[in-house]
Amino acid sequence: MNSIVSVSSISKKYQLPLSNKEVPKSFVNKIFKKKELVEYWAVKDVSFTLNKGDKLGIIGNNGAGKSTLLKILSKITKPTTGKVDIRGKVASLLEVGTGFHPELSGRDNIYLNGAILGMSKKQITQQFDEIVEFAGDQIIKFLDTPVKRYSSGMYVRLGFAISAHLDPDILIVDEVLAVGDADFQKKSLGKMKEVASKEKTILFVSHNLTAVANLCNKTLHLEKGYVKQFGETGEVLNNYLSAMQNNLLEQSFDHIEEAPGNDLVRLKYAKLTPALIGNQLIADVRNSLKIDIEFWNLLDDQNLNISLHIFASTGECIFNVGTQPKLLNKGVVQASLTIPGYFLNDGNYLVSFMIVKDKSIVLFNFEEVFNFEIADFREDTTWYGKWPGYVRPQFNFPIQQVSQKI
Amino acid sequence: MAFLNTSNFKLSNNLELLLILAKRDISVRFKQTALGMIWAIIRPITTMLVFLFAYKNVTNISNISGYPIQIIIYSGILFWNLFANGFQSVSNSILLSSNLISKVYFPRLIILFSAIAVSLIDFLFGLFVYFILAVYFKINISYNLFLLPIVVLITLFMSIGLGAIIASFSVKKRDLLQIIPIVVQYGFFVTPIVYTSLEFYLKPWFKIYTFINPLVGLVEFFRFTLISGYHVLSLNEILISIFSSITIFILGLLIFQSKKDTFVDHL
Repeated sequence: MNSIVSVSSISKKYQLPLSNKEVPKSFVNKIFKKKELVEYWAVKDVSFTLNKGDKLGIIGNNGAGKSTLLKILSKITKPTTGKVDIRGKVASLLEVGTGFHPELSGRDNIYLNGAILGMSKKQITQQFDEIVEFAGDQIIKFLDTPVKRYSSGMYVRLGFAISAHLDPDILIVDEVLAVGDADFQKKSLGKMKEVASKEKTILFVSHNLTAVANLCNKTLHLEKGYVKQFGETGEVLNNYLSAMQNNLLEQSFDHIEEAPGNDLVRLKYAKLTPALIGNQLIADVRNSLKIDIEFWNLLDDQNLNISLHIFASTGECIFNVGTQPKLLNKGVVQASLTIPGYFLNDGNYLVSFMIVKDKSIVLFNFEEVFNFEIADFREDTTWYGKWPGYVRPQFNFPIQQVSQKI
Repeated sequence: MAFLNTSNFKLSNNLELLLILAKRDISVRFKQTALGMIWAIIRPITTMLVFLFAYKNVTNISNISGYPIQIIIYSGILFWNLFANGFQSVSNSILLSSNLISKVYFPRLIILFSAIAVSLIDFLFGLFVYFILAVYFKINISYNLFLLPIVVLITLFMSIGLGAIIASFSVKKRDLLQIIPIVVQYGFFVTPIVYTSLEFYLKPWFKIYTFINPLVGLVEFFRFTLISGYHVLSLNEILISIFSSITIFILGLLIFQSKKDTFVDHL
């Protein structure tokens, strides 16, 4: 048996306190009554094996259990049941720059972060120059400056540069590629490919199906904690894309405890409504789309805005639009956006949005809130090929004959 | 680790990580202060001055059990700060490193052990001041000083042991965190820090007291190594304290080890 990673029917159970706001609680009840707990399986009965050199892409919607699975595989948390067998040195990158201390210099943080990720001091010293060079010229100048003075781009570049120089047998990556500017992303993807070309085993969570298709030979599709499909990348992705046709257009949460989010914001309601014309059944390129969002804001006096992204099903971002920032208090906050008709081309799209504080701090990123399809619609045409592009604008583009002379 | 049989972390790597985390805490401690490490000695000295004021002006005491009041108080405070600061940072260490714990795996014990670094460094600075005081008050230093590292080690065992218990139980429910200030504040007075055990040595409950509060034996052992001729407790009583400190240390680590795998689910 030469499997390097073998996962046999692991499950992870969480217990969440049940909300019962209807019953008024007395002080005594509050202290002595045991809270009722709801069981919730974040990962259920997941099994797969990987051979040395396999690159596994892990895909699935929000809440499918991808992050929990990665946490179990990286030993950060224990599965409730099941067994994980990993042979070799594991490095997991669930975040860029884990453990960076803002007061310490870039140089000190390279050693700190490297040690936390499992590198020995000797290894770090040997690769120090390479790491700095990979992080870019800017970093070299500020190597002895506390990282709290770094721009967020520099911070992330330094973090990624350290991770890129880990030398594990098995690398577990959680979407950390989506960092930095376009140039740096290219560099990071290149580095990933270089690592991938070696005899390394990689487990890679991503929303970017193009990246999964390019990097991974195997794919695991999770749905609500279960394995929907595990197999060759091409086959799994095809099935995944066709399953996406089942559009997800409305999400509504009655109880704040069950709603996605964190201690700062939680999603209450989100709906995507296409303005259908006549007896139309599915949205097409003509229809405008209205997106309504309601979320619970759990803190007072916050300067918040929503930043909404629309992605193609392949993972590229089509556009990003934001509300104006607004000073908001605790309670429910509502926002609506209308995307005009003749804007998006036909195809599958994903909507994610994040709640941003002070225009810079992401409080929570609600990923893949909607997943919808737009059908094609054409009149007066004799050509029925796929209309190329992600957008389908109807710009004024007049054409006229200015002369009859040749 | 029953469910994972990888030997991901080597002992030498663990040690390196421990040292680098300790170094981080120490170097961050006095960042952006003008006086820097001098702050480490200002605290024990001011505490001593406060008690000196109270003793001399309010109660008119000028020596305790036959030793200069400054020496007894300062040595007591030096000991207490080593224990209490270590205990506090170990107790808070897991919650303070929640970001690390939820993102990377490494043996969690490293966090506990690295948390005592700051109090140990502060102690060394404070010890330097003690020697200056000793010279000033003409207190001799005997060969007993060679036993000092043992007292320090046992004291740190106490800090880590108690801290590990609080840290383990406060991840899920934060109630135990409320105990820390109580221990630090009142423990100071129920332990012979600004007085000596000689004051109540003959009381019938003293034996039980040294057993329940191992810090009594430890602080007197500590003074024994620093003050020549200071001999308040018998070896037996000191051994009882050492024994209960080590028991608490082992108990703390056992509790920590049994709880550590679920930390991340409650952070």
